Amino acid sequence: MVIAFALGLAACGSQPQLSDAVFTTAHRSPGEAARHFFNSHPRPQQPLAFPHKTHIEKKAECTDCHETVERGPVAGIPSVKACMICHSQIATSKPLIKEVTSYSDRGIEIPWQRVYGFYPESHVRFNHAPHIRAKVDCAACHGDVANMTVAERVVDHTMGFCVNCHKQKNASNDCLTCHF
Amino acid sequence: MPHRWGMAVDLDRCTGCGACVTACHAENNIPTVGDSQAARGRAMHWIRVERYWEGEYPDVTLKFRPVMCQQCDAAPCEPVCPTYASHHTDEGLNAQIYNRCIGTRYCANACPYNVRFFDFFHPQWPKPLDAQLNPDVSVREVGVMEKCTFCVQRIHAAAIDAKAANRELKDGEIQPACVQSCSAKALVFGDLNDPESEVSKLSRSDRGHKLLDDLGTLPKVTYLNRPQA
Repeated sequence: MVIAFALGLAACGSQPQLSDAVFTTAHRSPGEAARHFFNSHPRPQQPLAFPHKTHIEKKAECTDCHETVERGPVAGIPSVKACMICHSQIATSKPLIKEVTSYSDRGIEIPWQRVYGFYPESHVRFNHAPHIRAKVDCAACHGDVANMTVAERVVDHTMGFCVNCHKQKNASNDCLTCHF
Repeated sequence: MPHRWGMAVDLDRCTGCGACVTACHAENNIPTVGDSQAARGRAMHWIRVERYWEGEYPDVTLKFRPVMCQQCDAAPCEPVCPTYASHHTDEGLNAQIYNRCIGTRYCANACPYNVRFFDFFHPQWPKPLDAQLNPDVSVREVGVMEKCTFCVQRIHAAAIDAKAANRELKDGEIQPACVQSCSAKALVFGDLNDPESEVSKLSRSDRGHKLLDDLGTLPKVTYLNRPQA
């Protein structure tokens, strides 16, 4: 890690100044590198406070909105159109719903922020579908979202966390299963 | 029985078009380093097409040989790795784990085929070209070694689909990017443990040979000679 870090600094020195017009894995500042190293990142600030609890109480399932979780690598963030399937009729007078309607009327998506999927998980190619098929509960990795208002990061997705479960379920623990 | 992934390359079919190289770059998020760094030997191509001119002008023939990681059974790159970033999987793949790698570059030194590449720089793509990066493959950071994986992301994806449908993997179901893009069908990929698979039949061909066979690295890539005219 230290060698990689030192090489990183050396490489940055020999490359032209990073601009926002370039995508790169390089850290933009030493501070950012340090925050990554210590696995610290800011809480996501959502554009509006989506209450998971209210929806689950109304008997909505996780898969109603996170539609592709049983089929593909990503669970999927629903489009604002999916919100409007219900909310063109339901609770239209509430202030939060009015905001949702406003996004829909303007034809733009709600800019939800990621809650999970930060460094170091970004080194892992995670696929939701096989985990759902193996009957892993959503809450096992995402915490009790059903009782949360705004989704929070409550479970640390460390490698130990993944490997323990893989051992219990007799799933492959080869490095190449997840890191590629 | 576990799978044992291998490849056969028919040199009689290869036209040297380079589609495999392009497809590999696109599939595996392989960065380019620019001409000055490429001149210092830092260019990265997980697969390359080697050219051999034979004979004296004007009576010359041009021969091509696509070379990718040979996924050796006795891989010289593996025992030299101090962090086990380079290791062998149950399916015979020669794995490179980027986040274990500390960049000693011993493996590239040990590899007789020159198919391991070091990230001397953070990869860069001018926006919005980063939108074409393959989400199924890591974007490697500076200071790690990378190499051909036989498109392990596609192997995993096919295995997951087959398991979901409760069936066995079919021969030819998995195609690495180079195999898929080869218009001459010079590249064939499959399970060497299945005696009926196309790749095992080709690997047993009389025309078959391994690259630098005398080194005893036991590669899983078989090259098929051009028949003598």
